[in-house]
Amino acid sequence: MEDSLSAQSMKKDIYTEEFLINMGPQHPSTHGVLSLECRLDGEIVMDCTPHLGYLHRSMEKIAENRTYTQFIPFTDRLDYVASINNNLGYCMTVEKLLKMEVPERAQYIRVIMAELNRIASHLIGIGAFAQDLGAFATPLFYGFRDREKILEIFDEICGNRLTYNYIRIGGVQSDFPEGLDKKINEFIKYMKLKIDDYDQLLTNNAILLARSKNIGCLSKEVAINYSITGPNLRASGIRRDIRKDAPYLVYDRFEFDVPLGANGDAWDRYKVRVEEIRQSLRIVEQAIHALPPGNPTSKANRIHKPQAGEVYVRTENPRGELGFYIVSDGSATPYRLKIRGPSFSNLAVLPELVKGLKIADIICILGSLDIVLGEIDR
Amino acid sequence: MINLIKNFITGSISLLKGLLVTLKNIFAPTTTIQYPTQKLKMTERYRGLVDLRRDKCISCLQCVKICPTACLALTSKLTEEKKKALESFTYNMELCCFCGLCQQVCPTSAIYMNKIYEVTTYDRKKLYINLLDPEKYVAWTSAVPK
Amino acid sequence: MFTFLNLIFMVMAGVMVLGFIAVSAMFLIWWERKVSAHIQNRYGPMRVGWHGALQSVADVIKLLLKEDIRPTKADAWVWWLAPFFAVVPSVMAFVVIPFSKELIPRDLNIGVLYIMAITSVCVIGIFMAGWGSNNKYSLLGGMRAAAQIISYELPLILSMITVVMVANSLSMQKIVEAQSRCWFIFHPNLALAGLIYIIAATAEVNRTPFDIPEAESELVAGFHTEYSGMKFAMFFLGEYTNVFIVSAIATTLFLGGWKGPLLPPIAWFLIKTYGIITFLMWVRWTFPRLRVDQLMGFAWKFLTPVSFLNLAIVGLLLLK
Repeated sequence: MEDSLSAQSMKKDIYTEEFLINMGPQHPSTHGVLSLECRLDGEIVMDCTPHLGYLHRSMEKIAENRTYTQFIPFTDRLDYVASINNNLGYCMTVEKLLKMEVPERAQYIRVIMAELNRIASHLIGIGAFAQDLGAFATPLFYGFRDREKILEIFDEICGNRLTYNYIRIGGVQSDFPEGLDKKINEFIKYMKLKIDDYDQLLTNNAILLARSKNIGCLSKEVAINYSITGPNLRASGIRRDIRKDAPYLVYDRFEFDVPLGANGDAWDRYKVRVEEIRQSLRIVEQAIHALPPGNPTSKANRIHKPQAGEVYVRTENPRGELGFYIVSDGSATPYRLKIRGPSFSNLAVLPELVKGLKIADIICILGSLDIVLGEIDR
Repeated sequence: MINLIKNFITGSISLLKGLLVTLKNIFAPTTTIQYPTQKLKMTERYRGLVDLRRDKCISCLQCVKICPTACLALTSKLTEEKKKALESFTYNMELCCFCGLCQQVCPTSAIYMNKIYEVTTYDRKKLYINLLDPEKYVAWTSAVPK
Repeated sequence: MFTFLNLIFMVMAGVMVLGFIAVSAMFLIWWERKVSAHIQNRYGPMRVGWHGALQSVADVIKLLLKEDIRPTKADAWVWWLAPFFAVVPSVMAFVVIPFSKELIPRDLNIGVLYIMAITSVCVIGIFMAGWGSNNKYSLLGGMRAAAQIISYELPLILSMITVVMVANSLSMQKIVEAQSRCWFIFHPNLALAGLIYIIAATAEVNRTPFDIPEAESELVAGFHTEYSGMKFAMFFLGEYTNVFIVSAIATTLFLGGWKGPLLPPIAWFLIKTYGIITFLMWVRWTFPRLRVDQLMGFAWKFLTPVSFLNLAIVGLLLLK
């Protein structure tokens, strides 16, 4: 009796309180405008709820009021780090709806552009991850420095540096300018050297290993249940890459490996991205050598009127499976367009991963998931 | 204990390797440029502001129709020779997303995108541009590198 | 005892120290920006003065003119005093820093002890800032800072004690004199102590990889999130002064202080000190940061036992 009383009075004198902290929407490392509502017990995270929608632009509704061609620039703004891949997914969906053939040269060009864009996106992913771990901007700047080379190539091809609007329904906007393949080959040579730098600077760095090994382990079951896709899924050891499993474009003609992780921890997710850059370089190298002649361009001015029906196409975005689902009623505009963004499900698993870890680990895991809010909020 | 020492040594070596990478980069040439004094040349296909070659325009309205953000507006009237003549052509830069569709769709390449990329202004009214005005971009041409 | 001359000397020393601190901090901020920029293949500040040399001056003017914003729910007194608590100890530590044989404000016979005592006070300022701001990020930062600085004090002091044992004195000048033949960093007994000192010192001044109290990507700006204008500048000044202090101590204890051939002693002292600072910057812009529990584990499970062991071994070797 006495004991319990003293325990009660102890509780009154010394008590700890969990406190609520809102990380974001204005926070240095939320990768856009994401708000994480975290319940903390000192440094330990009890619970974490992502709140999203700050960047909502109602893309899917906009699509219903645009012709099929007019919506291409909007897809640039979904995942603005890898806009060619979004263009590609959307245009392939519309092509499937129209049962349209794409010239072979255009297909090769699309592969080259998509893979270059994948490299650019992963470079940012790696850099931002290291930045989140507290490596003060240096890896991030290296990432941007190397991405800049890709942007220069893109700038020459399509005239823009972020929102390319390059892929067209039935082809691409413009053919490669003269001497571009030489530039791409130079870039491949450059990047192969630089990727070793990343390995030396980050991959085996003792501090990075300590920070990210065995942190935020995503088991196979959880990954599948949350429909995680892309590098995050492959880091958990599941071999699933649409470029291999259901090859689109001309991906079946190229040799490349699908890098896998072992534990599905933050380090594995980082490592898979680094390896994917290497594989993408291999694909680009093969594609640029096998580039067939022809006219890849397609006119933009056609108003496409597909037959009524519905179609779903998925492509491998740098962040996972990007799916477009279009319902057509036979008019020039889609009746309904649904976007399946990979980042959305990748973010959804975050609360599952961070429970019981430290605050610093939230940021580490969020960085390793490599989300882009433009695509989550749409 | 031995494990601890081994870990410490491999860890230190990895850290030293990282230091070497940054050391190498200290002496590498810088990749940035001194922006306002030094400017990059825009590429041939660069998509800057929408511009018009007035004499080539046949008022076919293709650009107006394709524009995803409806930032172009055009009116025309029939001349005595039964040809369409431009009456007004306005460009709302505020809405423009620089997608380049208008440039691609134009049958006579009358509408094109120039190389101006410094497109900020303090006055919103300046963003509504009359494309028929020959001096519309004079205030901005300082942005184009020589 | 307390003559007029003495007073004049004290005032002059004070003014010189304050002037030196301000100039040194401004130089260090510019230098850090340049070093970090070149590590990242950038130019860094280039506009104000030669290669942006006057950038820090412009920044100071900006900070002086800025509005001083106080959060309404802040604990006014604690909040207001915190920056001073963070700066004043590091300024006071200058009393025993030997710039050359003559150029030392006071050669206390307990110099090392004085420095150990006075630099520990900084943590109070940081914790006050964290608590007084009434901001959750600041509180977390302040708590982390307190835990970290107190933990790393131990290996820091233990490694300094080994030097004191070998040099047989607590006075900074005598320690410098003891190194006239061989720098202590090359002394077989003290090399490990030097390494421990530099690691612990990095943690002591909250620089990457031990910058968890500020931890930009986690805690926004840690304990100084709510500070603006001159109060923020005070923290900044304190930080860079601390960096200078720990590097100056490292120079004095391990690199032979102001001793060196050809150049005047003060030049040698500054070259060595700024060399160490540059090394710390290089480290800062290369590595990610450790997590808070790893940091504490490293201090208590590795650094402290090793420094105790080192102390015991050095002691045994001296006994012979």
